[in-house]
Amino acid sequence: MEFYLIAISISVLIYMLMASGLSLQYGFTGLVNFGYVGFFAIGAYTSGLLSLQGVPLPVSFLAAMLLAGALAYPLGIITLRLGGDYLAIITLGFSETVRILLMKEDWLTRGVHGVPGLPRVFDDWAGVSSGDLTLLLLLLVVNIAVFALIAYLVRSPFGRIIASIRDNEVAVRALGKNPAAFKTRSLMLGSALAGLAGAFQAHYVTFIAPEQFVPLITFYVWIAIIVGGPNRILGIVVGTIILLTFLEGSRFMRDFVGGVSEVQLASVRFFIIGMALICTILYRPNGLFPDKFSKGK
Amino acid sequence: MDWINITNAAINGIVLGLLLALPALAVTLVFGIARFPHAAVGDYMTFGAYTAILVQSFMSASLVAAALIASAATAFLSLFFYAWVFRSLSQRSPVSSLIASIGVAFAVRSVITFFAGQSQYVIEAPLVRAWNFSGVRILPTDLYVAATAVLALAAVFFMLHFTAFGRRMRAVADNPELAAASGIRVREVMITLSVIVGAFCGLGGMLMGFKAVVLPELGWELILPIFASVILGGIGSPVGAVCGMILFGISQEIASLYVGASYKLVLAFVVLLLVLLIRPQGMFGKIIAVR
Repeated sequence: MEFYLIAISISVLIYMLMASGLSLQYGFTGLVNFGYVGFFAIGAYTSGLLSLQGVPLPVSFLAAMLLAGALAYPLGIITLRLGGDYLAIITLGFSETVRILLMKEDWLTRGVHGVPGLPRVFDDWAGVSSGDLTLLLLLLVVNIAVFALIAYLVRSPFGRIIASIRDNEVAVRALGKNPAAFKTRSLMLGSALAGLAGAFQAHYVTFIAPEQFVPLITFYVWIAIIVGGPNRILGIVVGTIILLTFLEGSRFMRDFVGGVSEVQLASVRFFIIGMALICTILYRPNGLFPDKFSKGK
Repeated sequence: MDWINITNAAINGIVLGLLLALPALAVTLVFGIARFPHAAVGDYMTFGAYTAILVQSFMSASLVAAALIASAATAFLSLFFYAWVFRSLSQRSPVSSLIASIGVAFAVRSVITFFAGQSQYVIEAPLVRAWNFSGVRILPTDLYVAATAVLALAAVFFMLHFTAFGRRMRAVADNPELAAASGIRVREVMITLSVIVGAFCGLGGMLMGFKAVVLPELGWELILPIFASVILGGIGSPVGAVCGMILFGISQEIASLYVGASYKLVLAFVVLLLVLLIRPQGMFGKIIAVR
């Protein structure tokens, strides 16, 4: 039971890290990133493959963040000057392209077989049993630091500009600011957080394979942020917990409902995710904890 | 690579492009009129393909009947989601409709996999031998597919450019407020649009299933090539969508001779990046300004 609680808390915190990054992009800046899992995958593979080459983990985690953030740069530069919804399409294409390359370029990634045996974060000095607990504490610290960073950013001049871009881009342009530059920075920062979450995931699970990085993961994170309220830290926390409760809870559903096959169970989960997206957007556009300034978007 | 192989790939690409021009036209019309990228078109296609399978296995209907029922059923599905979801979202930011359309896509696909599972199906059709012109092969079934697509496309182009209703549709695409102010019933246009989107995606999906196999990911995997072609043709331009899709179909089939078929999606992504980098308005379109 204890182990299970630690395991589920680690999953919650990894998802929360992703939700913070996406919330920075969508909730605070208004960027629609439908390929978030692509940056998560880049982080996981970067750190995973580097660590197998003997690179120390702090360095490989840093590399994961930097590479995920850097890959967001060209996507942002190309699409964000155009406005409209190009970013959504291009990021979706990005994550699918990443997944295909991970599957096909097996000289680097071992293709669909995945890469096993990645080093765990604290096993060297904390041992296997308390390693997870230490990882949990580290993730907690990282999440709190990210929340503090977001809270600081939102109040900074940068935060005011990205919020005003979200609310009225033309006005920002009229003030002589270049919205594309600010949006690109927000995109890169959010993607770097996805990369960091990917590195944590890789070294926690110790195995990475392309099938872990399907588009569905992107929309899990989307659910987490829009159910809670995309531009509130409380919303991120509650949304992620609701999501993980649902994902974990539905695993036990089969014990109660007989005669359901694995595929059908997966379909039911998928259906609920789809319906949750539709219903939240329709009936609760600002989530459970709307920002007190936000009007219906 | 010799010329015969390339010609065959090009022919295959044209057929594929014509077929996918149906959903591409639907996407570009939604982009132009309802102003959001409709991410559920792929799964509407899948729905059409599975409806055709269902019709064939329970009613042993002919292919033509299966195609008609598949498009009608998908039109109903599209109308249902318009009435429930997109109608109320039309007053809000396009982002809401975009996110909701992903939800619609998931909901549709999950219902399909719940009942049909993950296994693949084939649409029953009589086997035919390809005509062989000294190496250049043409499948008669491909000709039927292409002819069906051309007919459907021609019908919509006729409607858009030669009927009063088409003029109203183009007016709404141009400026919804002005159109409403001059007495055009926007609601009516939107309902017709939903029917066209559903019917075209259903037909396109059925034809795709006929040409290949029917899988739950059939439509979802085509979304990216479709969006890339729509942007290549110019968002909101029906002619652009068709030309873009055919061009994309040909280049995809020829490219897969050299790099292998699994890189199709990568090609779509590269085309998308290049178009947005070099000519974001596409071949026939305008740049969509920030709204």
